[in-house]
Amino acid sequence: MRLLLHLVAKDLRRKARAPFAFVAALSFPILFAGMIALAFGGGGKLPKVRLLVANLDEGVVGSAVVSAFGSPRTAGMFETTRVTEAEGRERMERGRASAFLTIPKGFTRDLLDGRPVTLRLVRNPSEGILPEIAAQTAGGLADLLEGARRVLSAPLLRLRPYLEDGIDSAPADADVVAIALEATHAIGGASSLIFPPVITLRSELFGGTEPAAEDKGGTGSQIFLLVLPGVAVYALFLVAENAMRDVLTERTLGTLRRQLAGPLTPGTYIVAKALYTCVLATAAIAVVSLVGWTVLTRPVSLPGFVLVSMALVLAVAGTAAAIYGLAGSERAGATLAGAIFLAMGFLGGGFFRIESLPPGIRSVAPFTPLYWGTQGYRALLEHGATLSGVARYAGVLIAMGVALLGVGMAALHRSARAGTAA
Amino acid sequence: MFDVRGLVKSYGPVRAVDGVSFAVARGELFGLLGPNGAGKTTIMSMLSGLLPPDEGRILFDGIDLASKPLAVKAALGIVPQDPALYETLTARENLNFWGGLYGLSGSALRSSVDRVLELIGLADRARDPVKTYSGGMKRRLNLALGLVHAPRAVLMDEPTVGIDPQGRLNVLDAVRRVAASGTTVIYTTHYLDEAETLCDRIAIMDHGKILAEGTLEELKRRVGGRDVITVRGAPDLSPLLPRIDAMPGVTVASAEAGKLVVAVDGSGRGAVELLSAVLSSGLAIDGISIQPPSLSTLFLNLTGRELRD
Repeated sequence: MRLLLHLVAKDLRRKARAPFAFVAALSFPILFAGMIALAFGGGGKLPKVRLLVANLDEGVVGSAVVSAFGSPRTAGMFETTRVTEAEGRERMERGRASAFLTIPKGFTRDLLDGRPVTLRLVRNPSEGILPEIAAQTAGGLADLLEGARRVLSAPLLRLRPYLEDGIDSAPADADVVAIALEATHAIGGASSLIFPPVITLRSELFGGTEPAAEDKGGTGSQIFLLVLPGVAVYALFLVAENAMRDVLTERTLGTLRRQLAGPLTPGTYIVAKALYTCVLATAAIAVVSLVGWTVLTRPVSLPGFVLVSMALVLAVAGTAAAIYGLAGSERAGATLAGAIFLAMGFLGGGFFRIESLPPGIRSVAPFTPLYWGTQGYRALLEHGATLSGVARYAGVLIAMGVALLGVGMAALHRSARAGTAA
Repeated sequence: MFDVRGLVKSYGPVRAVDGVSFAVARGELFGLLGPNGAGKTTIMSMLSGLLPPDEGRILFDGIDLASKPLAVKAALGIVPQDPALYETLTARENLNFWGGLYGLSGSALRSSVDRVLELIGLADRARDPVKTYSGGMKRRLNLALGLVHAPRAVLMDEPTVGIDPQGRLNVLDAVRRVAASGTTVIYTTHYLDEAETLCDRIAIMDHGKILAEGTLEELKRRVGGRDVITVRGAPDLSPLLPRIDAMPGVTVASAEAGKLVVAVDGSGRGAVELLSAVLSSGLAIDGISIQPPSLSTLFLNLTGRELRD
């Protein structure tokens, strides 16, 4: 044991003197998740959609559309500016808005007559997701107007003269009563469909439960939460790869040969390298977890977290050992590891949430340790899973880790002996 | 201390070591001299337990290396041909690691590290990262790493290859001091002068075999008083060869563009005949040198060719 610790201490000291690869691997998930969160979450608040509206319609529906973007539900998302068509085009050309909505002339009249009408939305592609929000909202609004037109077609026909003339033109009292009665009948007829609605949409996260708790950070931290586990697990593989590569680095340096010419067996040497890899991976988890905890500030089951982490450490060490055990040289190992980890990142849900991937890829994902690590952390972070809730993930990781470590260490043992005999 | 019997090692069809046997006494500085590819490093790999021989056995203080490798390895120090160092660590950290690997710790480790740092003259640079060292300093540290645990025997595999003259002198001086302290040293080299000035006994190797073995004086006696005459001159000295071949007691060792090496009996007659032939040939001659009997002449006699650096 003393010898093992002596070897690990030497490797840690070397790593401390040349920490670039370790720091780069660790920075990757934090920067990646942070940048995604900043790009799409603004560090806690979405930036407002700067919407230009040119309302060429004289009627009330056009005004209603404009008002919809300033309603209490949407006011936090939109910064609406009324413009003329020319002003709108000019501002868009200068990139001064996220999107430009044009409500055409005669929009109200055509809608009431049942003629096709078009709301025109021009999006600014440099604004990322923001124009898409405007498009989605406008699309929803169009659907809403269409539904209302169909249900309230009769009373709206009565209202048409007033609507076309604008809201300043008020109907007579008798007309108001008649229209109100007709509208009540129409809504009553449709009430069995809309009160309560027959179709409800319940949106929930994959796994069947709602998030464990609200974050203080808002949207930004939510996005950080979505991205971090996958890229953090991916980065852990990079850390392990860098550590295990040291077997072949030492072979090149001649220090492996020199050590094995001393009172050290190849087996002890390889076990020490695996131990060193585990220590580095554990340190990496600690750092990323600290950052994650600082940003997310959500309670997580500590025993569950420790179990998944330790199982993952075993799995990443095993994967790296297997890769470098089977690789003939340092360069071949690095190339092989890069390709395998990248494939795992995509297939195992490291870069994209597994739910968003095509079914074919989803069926492959469980064959990668990255998938089980990512899902384990997501269960802890998103669903508040406890120790028993992550036992399945940890179990698979441990099984994969033991198998890969066995194969890898046997191959590295052979490689170490061959390297010293050369 | 070392008793090596009938070592054989082949790489495919190539017999790198072919039935090598020798013995090294305690405190002796034993040299393996031979050109590159003679099999010296393969023998060192087998002596250090890194490479199992195909045939033969190695006894160290009566212990069979094959049966108790760790026990033997713990008593040996290794100085590989190329420096095997951790460049991001300091010299002291390197020495601490290698000393610890052999079981040293605490004050024993500290004093041992201080001792070898003094020996190689790097005490004042001990806290600098090795990557800031010159090539010569790295060679000296490479030597120190093999000595830090005060081994009973040290295997040094061409420790002065690729080193500047001053660094070479420093390393050779350190090797002498190690040997003077009573440590057994097996030293491989292809430099004749190193073997001549350092070693108590020398084994001359070529093509995986030991051709001759003994002290320097014993080996010189084996030369039998043959001088080596080197003629330098015209690009093509081949017109001389038929006449030289016909001379009794004269052997052409090598003939190449502008250079002819010939071994002649030490009686003087052969040399005179050769010089007459050369001078009367009409070829342009730049210079003629005569070397007295030495390891170089012995190697020439044994192999029919020169031992080159």
